[in-house]
Amino acid sequence: MKLEMSKIIAVHSYKGGTGKTLLSVNLATTLAKHGKKVCLIDLDFRAPSLFAILKVEETKCWFNDYLNGTCGIDKVIADLSNRIESNEKFYVALANPKTDAIRDMSAKDRKWEMQALSKLLSLKKDLMKDNDFDYLIFDTSPGMQYSSINAIVAADLVVVATTRDRSDEEGTKRMLRGLYDLFEKKTGLVLNKVLDPTLKTKKTEVQTRVKDFYQVPLLGIVPCYCDVLRAKGDIIFVQDQPDHPFTKVLDEMVRKIETGQV
Amino acid sequence: MTREETFNRKGLQILQKIKENLERLNQKMEVMIEIQKHDHKDVPPFSDKTLDVMTLLSMPDHLRKTAMAVCRLGRTTAEDISQQTHRARAVESAYLNQLVLMGYLKKERNGRKAYFFIDRTNGEIRNEQNNSCTFL
Repeated sequence: MKLEMSKIIAVHSYKGGTGKTLLSVNLATTLAKHGKKVCLIDLDFRAPSLFAILKVEETKCWFNDYLNGTCGIDKVIADLSNRIESNEKFYVALANPKTDAIRDMSAKDRKWEMQALSKLLSLKKDLMKDNDFDYLIFDTSPGMQYSSINAIVAADLVVVATTRDRSDEEGTKRMLRGLYDLFEKKTGLVLNKVLDPTLKTKKTEVQTRVKDFYQVPLLGIVPCYCDVLRAKGDIIFVQDQPDHPFTKVLDEMVRKIETGQV
Repeated sequence: MTREETFNRKGLQILQKIKENLERLNQKMEVMIEIQKHDHKDVPPFSDKTLDVMTLLSMPDHLRKTAMAVCRLGRTTAEDISQQTHRARAVESAYLNQLVLMGYLKKERNGRKAYFFIDRTNGEIRNEQNNSCTFL
């Protein structure tokens, strides 16, 4: 039984455009490359994107259907292990990108959201206990929306993506105290799109500032790489560019997660 | 026995006495709550409220901790909750009863034991096996 070792990780942020999906995809892929059985789940029902990034043409059921109770989780998860080097165990569950599905998900009431939370929590048994998944990665919507808070409540660890944008910094700090702390969640902060952090003194300065300002463990600093921007979300970066510094940063983050440093 | 050991033993006895008194106080408080519930049976002040994440967020810290533990454990007792939260059983019992009064939890007695759970009979989250929320 490896349930105690397994983890649900929610990747969340205060604002949009902080790189949650990029982090989610590459975090999940890196974990899979480390030999873990991983399922990446798109919980960003307002702006689904994993289907496009992972180029999944068809799926039997969407994750929306699972939450609606019309489809079992076994029909929702798709095996994409062949996308990863040496066929590691990499699965996805996708959010429905159709406009009517987005509209439908935006109009759910509180009782439905409670039901959805129950469904998310039952994944721990259905996927992790019964199907030996090591990690579930939730790619969430930004801010304080029901689906995101449900994901945070169900998660064992919240990876918070933030940038050095002033409004993002202030909002993230408020969310750390007003959301994650209230649910007593473990959090790890990822400072994304950092300009010119290569100088050692600059890196130390950023690390100190982040720890003092947010007062949570720093999971990683991700420099703003033009190569990542150039890829335009068209590839799984850590898979296609194994020697790139971005891949090394993700490797280090995963090592911290695996060794319980966050 | 050294003087220090005698002192420590006395300290433990005092703590034990305080604990017993707290337990008694709690039992009395539970009776009072039951009476209050009975008195207001016709017009329940709060009933069948939805215990969703936004509600949890808006709760005071001490109640949220208890409510989340109930969600994690399902049908449960104050004793089990106290083991989760590392707070005294009497304290948890008071908070659980408060959540019952607020309409978020239901309470049932089985002999001397009181069980607390989230009522899902309105088609809300329901764990078919133990009639409880599987939250957390």
